Amino acid sequence: MSDNKILIVDDEGAIRRFLRVTLKAHDYTVFEAASGKEAISSTADNKPDVIILDLGLPDVDGVEVTRMIREWSQIPIIILSIRGSESDKIAALDAGADDYLTKPFGVGELLARVRASLRRINVAANEPVFTSNDLVVDLAQRRVTINDNDIQLTPNEYELLRVLVNHAGKVITHNHLLREVWGPEYGNEFHMLHVNISNLRHKIEPEPARPKFIITEPGVGYRLKAD
Amino acid sequence: MNMKLGRAGIHWRKYIFGLCLVVAGTILGHLVQTFFDPTNIIMIYLLCVTVSAVFWGLGPSVFVAVAGVLTFDFFFVPPHHTLAVDDTQYLFTFIALLVVGVIISYLTSRTRRQTEEAIRKEKETSALYTLGHDLAIASSLDSYIKAITRRVRETFGYDVIVFLPDEKNTRNIRPYTDTPDISIDNTDFTEALSTLRRFSENKQDINLQQHSKSQYLPLVTARGIIGIMTLKNPGSPIELTSEQEQLLKAYIDLAAVAIEGIILADQARYAQVIQETEKLQNALLNAISHDLKTPLVSVIGVLSSLQEEGMHLDENAKENLIQVAREEADKLNHLISNLLDESRIEAGAIKITKQPVEIQDLVGSALEQLGARAKRHRFKIEIPPELPFVYVDVGLIVQALVNVIDNALKYSPQDTPIEIKAQTVDEQLQIEIIDMGVGIPPQDIDRIFDKFYRIQRPDNVSGTGMGLSISKGIIEAHGGYIEANNHPGGGTVIRISLSSDKTPFNERKFTE
Repeated sequence: MSDNKILIVDDEGAIRRFLRVTLKAHDYTVFEAASGKEAISSTADNKPDVIILDLGLPDVDGVEVTRMIREWSQIPIIILSIRGSESDKIAALDAGADDYLTKPFGVGELLARVRASLRRINVAANEPVFTSNDLVVDLAQRRVTINDNDIQLTPNEYELLRVLVNHAGKVITHNHLLREVWGPEYGNEFHMLHVNISNLRHKIEPEPARPKFIITEPGVGYRLKAD
Repeated sequence: MNMKLGRAGIHWRKYIFGLCLVVAGTILGHLVQTFFDPTNIIMIYLLCVTVSAVFWGLGPSVFVAVAGVLTFDFFFVPPHHTLAVDDTQYLFTFIALLVVGVIISYLTSRTRRQTEEAIRKEKETSALYTLGHDLAIASSLDSYIKAITRRVRETFGYDVIVFLPDEKNTRNIRPYTDTPDISIDNTDFTEALSTLRRFSENKQDINLQQHSKSQYLPLVTARGIIGIMTLKNPGSPIELTSEQEQLLKAYIDLAAVAIEGIILADQARYAQVIQETEKLQNALLNAISHDLKTPLVSVIGVLSSLQEEGMHLDENAKENLIQVAREEADKLNHLISNLLDESRIEAGAIKITKQPVEIQDLVGSALEQLGARAKRHRFKIEIPPELPFVYVDVGLIVQALVNVIDNALKYSPQDTPIEIKAQTVDEQLQIEIIDMGVGIPPQDIDRIFDKFYRIQRPDNVSGTGMGLSISKGIIEAHGGYIEANNHPGGGTVIRISLSSDKTPFNERKFTE
């Protein structure tokens, strides 16, 4: 059994069961909570490595739970949202959640999100190299290659890629990307972000029109696909 | 239209005219005396009698006959200037003159009375006809009754109110009138109600009350009493001649039948609408229930198969079954999303949160949501990267695209590609989805975006047909257009037009 502990928070028994069985089958240690209150006390008691949090809880709003946990902990939180409440998703991400899954979702997506969330913790400082297919990003050497061919990036483009790599597998909101790469006062310069992403795609994607590395999450942000 | 139905009184003037005529005749007689025999002069008096009979009636013509005879005797029969008669044959002349005068005046006055009667009847018929015509073109109970009350008021000169039992509570009555400022007081209500009750209990003849300012007349049909027509005169008591009474009764009969007719027609129409609505609702619920349960058949079937028969199945078979179940479950997911969107559109509860987004990403997201079915099919995507953004609600537009592409997937053969093109046309962003399926029958081109419309195809195309109408609802809520056409060379092209994001560079931001 791996060391990774996952807290599942959902008021639906069937969903908890599906998640528990699946995650246990992949060697995770699983804790469960059925309400916001239980979630917070379980987090404090069990200190999970990842929290999977449903937004539709009976006692406290999922966004509120996120906010409360973030007051004292940086544990990665993956929220479960339903289609049609895009604003809830963004509110949760802004409140400090790291990623989301749209119900109904498949097991593959679930595991990918969990792995991506754990990567931040498990990736030690001496593993600065990100690899995905032919793309290799060496953060220590500031070198980006595709099939061993060097790719020339502008400073902004490189920064953008760096932030994406640091969050590999997880979604980053537009706002967050802009703030991290350009600074807090650029939080709304969406067009500028898009142009840079577009240029980056043209440089590293085999088919820029159908990206397989830098994925758009429409209405939310971008995600660097990690596996 | 006013009818003067008063009786002719005694008009002294006519007798004066008659006398003048006799005088004129006498003068004329004098003038021609030398040329004519007295027998011919009598013709002048005969003429006078005829004229007065025709114009002035029996009385005056008899007077003229007598005056004529006396004058003739006095002036023209020897011995002149006396009333004595020498020749007794003139006595015969006198009698004849008198008799002729009487006969002619009787005949002409009878003709005149008949003419007057005919004119009156014609006016009466015309009045009823006009009322009938008004009723024929009136389309609601209100306008019917207004036509009736107006006609009666114009014909008889009194204010008219029609009282009908209230549809909801038949113990109460409602007044209808076309005089807006008429005063209806409690007495009117109580009188009308008591008349109504009296006539419901036993059939009676309609009689007008003497010396009353208000008349409460029952509207009676074969089914019984259906209402009360009230005539009111604020000033003096209501008085009607017998011809007027007759005409009024004719009006009342016509009105009663007409009102009953329209009430029955309304009831029948209402019942029919209820019936049709129920039928439609049932059909709809049946279709939705079918579409929701059908995918579950496969899902539950496959799962039970794996559960109970798992050991008998080889890997291929299992793989196959699982694939089917997965796709059917996706279909169910899609259908539920559509139903929810449909409900939101119907309830006017669609909330649009707009963001700048690329067409590219919208299409990509739509294809992603369509899952395995889209992956299995060949797509030709031509979206130039430098297209301007659109300012739309991402979730909704993606759903709109999903429905349109889903439609293309349903109706295009497996081996033909589906094209998705985007371009700017006149500052609008235009997306085209082109399939090479059967196309749309020309008469149906406008109807494919109707709710629940499906092209009549006998095969296994599932879905209640609301996808395209939802797409239309969403796109139009964004101020865009969607239209369908047959593609030259076969197939269908669905064109979506959205305005491009024109917010200035520095102001582009996300709304939350």
